[in-house]
Amino acid sequence: MKVIRLKKGHNLAIGGQPEKLLVDAGQPARLKIRPGDFPGIKPKLLVKEGDHVNTGAPVLYDKTFPDMLVTAPGAGRVVNIVVGERRTVREIVIDLDRTESVESFERFNEQSVPALSPDTIKSQLLRSGLWPVIRQRPFSSVADPEKLPKAVFISATPTAPFAPDTDYLLEQGAAGLQMGLSVLKRLTGRPVHLVAGKNSSSAMLAGLKDVVLHRFSGPHPAGNVGIHIHHIAPIRNRDDIVWYVSLQDVMRIGGLFLKGVLPVDKVVTVGGESVEKRLYVKIRQGMMLKDILWGNPVERDARLVSGDVLTGLQCVAEDSLGFYHDTVSVIPESTRRDFFGWLMPGLHKYSLTNLFLSRLVGNRGAHLDTRMHGSERIIIPFGNIESVLPMNILPTFLIKMILAEDIDEMEKLGIYECDPEDFALCSFIDASKMEIAEIIRQGLEYVEKNG
Amino acid sequence: MGALRTFLDRIEPHFSKGGKWERLFPLYEMVDTIFYVPGTATAVAPHVRDAVDMKRSMFTVIIALMPALVFGIYNTGYQADPGAGFLQNVMTGGSAVVPLILVSYIVGGLWEVLFAVIRRHEVNEGFLVTGLLLPMTLPPDIPLWMVAMGISFGIVIGKEVTGGTGYNIFNPALIARAFIFFAYPAEMSGDPVWTLADDLTAATPLAVAASVPGDDAVSLVAAAGYTLKDMFVGLIPGSVAGTSTLAVLAGAVVLIVSRIANWRIMAGGLIGLVTAAILANLLAPASENTMLSLSPLYHGVMGGFAFGIVFMATDPVSAAQTDKGRWIYGILIGALCVMIRVLNQAFAEGIMLSILLGNAFAPMIDYFVLRQNIAKRQKAYAKQ
Repeated sequence: MKVIRLKKGHNLAIGGQPEKLLVDAGQPARLKIRPGDFPGIKPKLLVKEGDHVNTGAPVLYDKTFPDMLVTAPGAGRVVNIVVGERRTVREIVIDLDRTESVESFERFNEQSVPALSPDTIKSQLLRSGLWPVIRQRPFSSVADPEKLPKAVFISATPTAPFAPDTDYLLEQGAAGLQMGLSVLKRLTGRPVHLVAGKNSSSAMLAGLKDVVLHRFSGPHPAGNVGIHIHHIAPIRNRDDIVWYVSLQDVMRIGGLFLKGVLPVDKVVTVGGESVEKRLYVKIRQGMMLKDILWGNPVERDARLVSGDVLTGLQCVAEDSLGFYHDTVSVIPESTRRDFFGWLMPGLHKYSLTNLFLSRLVGNRGAHLDTRMHGSERIIIPFGNIESVLPMNILPTFLIKMILAEDIDEMEKLGIYECDPEDFALCSFIDASKMEIAEIIRQGLEYVEKNG
Repeated sequence: MGALRTFLDRIEPHFSKGGKWERLFPLYEMVDTIFYVPGTATAVAPHVRDAVDMKRSMFTVIIALMPALVFGIYNTGYQADPGAGFLQNVMTGGSAVVPLILVSYIVGGLWEVLFAVIRRHEVNEGFLVTGLLLPMTLPPDIPLWMVAMGISFGIVIGKEVTGGTGYNIFNPALIARAFIFFAYPAEMSGDPVWTLADDLTAATPLAVAASVPGDDAVSLVAAAGYTLKDMFVGLIPGSVAGTSTLAVLAGAVVLIVSRIANWRIMAGGLIGLVTAAILANLLAPASENTMLSLSPLYHGVMGGFAFGIVFMATDPVSAAQTDKGRWIYGILIGALCVMIRVLNQAFAEGIMLSILLGNAFAPMIDYFVLRQNIAKRQKAYAKQ
């Protein structure tokens, strides 16, 4: 099979890589649902404080498409609904009882999938609250059930820092994977692309049906689904829709159809220099970070990130892990100011540029923390950001057009193919300390609203 | 060290919003961040950042300029009195060159801070490069007030009127030099200006090569006592730091290894120069113009070509900003440099004007590269 080899990019040499050891986080006492996790859903509540919910019972629905539900990841009582600014619901807190009562859905076996109608599949996914695991590009929102995509993408080669290793995940169990793929194939009738790493040894992937297997190699972001879409089925315009689902969520889709209950478990990694044990943890959807990190001491000056360090969300221990996140990163928080830092040889500075001595030893001895390492300046096109973007996109010009709010040029320069996560390394490496990923986000929001 | 930090932290409230010197915040920010790298933590993802910043990037350019500057100081003294000995030469050179740099930095710095305060943006580090580049390209005995005029023009007209750092169309240092060149030609061209000594006139090799119609350029240069080795090392009359191809090459290595300057521009410049010089050589027998017969090697080591293509043409803002565009831009500058030297005898040196022309063409070059990129994407869209 042809391997698509990408050269541009970088794998962060960040300390605290998770070791291949899986522990069970156990049963939490409390779960949280954060409506803000679901881009594109305008939440309307279906429960109030004091209500009892079963696992898989609806908690909220989407105002614009009422069939779209978000359901409870555990059975218990709704104890708190946290309302933020302008009456937006920030969190729904559920205290679990031990009943584990579940909503039941229809069960199917693998042989029956070809006979299923796409509408049956769609309604089962929507009713169970599992539909939101399917997201769409452009704009990275929850997939619109009324618009079929031209293809479905699944990345089985995540390259983000601390991301769970696919081979290791599959070793822990791949129940439901084939079922999930068949369901997606039957639902869309379009190609389902599974992208594996060049060295993925899992023979299992090669034996899957209803799927087109690709192999990509290269440093991060070569494992990002946006990069795969760009090289396999680029997004032409705002109506050219591609869906994407994470590998674990495909297994959950399969699990739902095989067992008839909403699967709520997933395996996540815990990594970073500021946490004692870096490993794989089996958790339940909606668990708080403090429960995931239970018995795993975190240093005092540490930043908790739901997701990976390049794209994740800064959180406190009481926050739940993001719906789409499969990594908890714990990194050193620092605001230390180096005396004449720009003048020193910089043996301990982490940089992808050849401007510091640390480059000679491959950034060994350099520790990444949360410092910006400089002040914001006007962008000077040194070519740094181009060197970490493995796409046929000219980022400097795209950024200029976004800042100029020129929709026509943004479209021509390929804004629909872009996603902030693919530009995270551009933000990382930019010498003028511009928030490039944020600019891309703004550009996408602007064309979505005004295009 | 701790005391300085305490002091800076103590006076900070006066400069931040609501303080009595709020308007002067850019000045505070400048001083504060010179001593200490800002301690801000990331507010949005990515949560970790590369250690690179604008100060480090621009400082690297300064380092790259050092070999040329140090050699330039020595050469300035050497040209004034070759027999005086190394130390004396450095002293003489230093006393001529250091005032030029000081005036350029002080006057230019005032403009920079003034604009930063009025337009409420930070003081940009790029000025450190501009302020040093200008005196390095001037004749050593230029009056100081002209340096002041030049850098003022370069900063205000060359940079600030088009929006400031990052928005300039032309390289500000080169605009400054061009201003002096056209406003005060007597101090910037002709034979007497290139050495400090008043009684000594020394024609630059380029002027020599064009001096006697019908003769052979190489033999004219040799007759004036300039060997290829002298010209490569740089012990010839010329601008302060532009004479030594060797020292410039040392700087080029720094810029290329650090990737602060794009090597494609330099390589393109060399290709353009060599190609245009060979074409000129082919035409040489048909004309009285001696410059036509000058070989590419001579073009490369004579005058300011090396300095210009390495330090001036590679300014990332005024150069082309796409990789393909950088090739075209470099080739254009190299070829134009030879054309101006050979065909327009009014200007013995062509690199300054060719880079300014290159700057003017850069946006158009990028425009076409951009259209090509768009077309390529359309093709990929159609193919799937």
